[in-house]
Amino acid sequence: MPVGVTSLSLITSFITSNYFLIIIKAGILLILVFYAIFALIIIKQVSSMAKTFVTNISPIFSTFAVFNAIFALVLIVLAAGVL
Amino acid sequence: MFHSYIENPESCRFEGQNPDEKILLLLRAHPITNIPWIFFSIVFFLVPFLAPRLAHFFGFSLSLIPNTYLIALLIIDYLVVLIIAFEGFLYWYFNVTLITAQKIIDIDFEPVLYKGVDLAPLSKIEETDSKTAGIFGTFFNFGNVAVQTAGATVAIEMRNVPRPAHVADIILDQAGIPHQHVGGP
Repeated sequence: MPVGVTSLSLITSFITSNYFLIIIKAGILLILVFYAIFALIIIKQVSSMAKTFVTNISPIFSTFAVFNAIFALVLIVLAAGVL
Repeated sequence: MFHSYIENPESCRFEGQNPDEKILLLLRAHPITNIPWIFFSIVFFLVPFLAPRLAHFFGFSLSLIPNTYLIALLIIDYLVVLIIAFEGFLYWYFNVTLITAQKIIDIDFEPVLYKGVDLAPLSKIEETDSKTAGIFGTFFNFGNVAVQTAGATVAIEMRNVPRPAHVADIILDQAGIPHQHVGGP
């Protein structure tokens, strides 16, 4: 059997294995956790910005930042449950 | 509210503003400076469309990965787009310089959670220096304005603001410093 075909079949069997999916799941969860932490920091950041320079659309940014953080947290729960 | 050069702006104020203090000029970086984050947002937005072709190019098929995982990766990609665009816009929108009849206020935000507010009373201003450089700066007429105050080097620096020479002129006018006006004697 040619070397190229053997390597390709090895890669394909690894990708379709449970180990690969566990690694992907762990990676996705890790990214989502980092995103959620960042989303929480953004809430504080927007609050500081809106307090320093007040405009009539500042509350929209604050609301958006809060919804973003809630969405990020919900995604972690969903990803942990569904994947 | 989304302009970068606003004279006598309505419905905005800053922390520590006196009741009788009126904002005469609001400055932000020129909108063209937003191109980098807009570009990266578009690149990440296009990733899901290009991923199957790239995978195919490397002899790999995305159909081997379960759909739920692909959807999760798709959501992560759009979260990245969202965060790049939101952060980019926030930093552009809130990094402002305000000129009132009493002082100049330079508000700087930098990632992550850095806030700097520089104040310079107009009575302390000695000179201003405006610079326009580069192809974009010359073409779109934006650049930096440095304000020097008594007893300090450069107290305030406004970056990439529109019409820098005109801004420097307005500051000197407000400070009551005799000077040659832009575009005439």
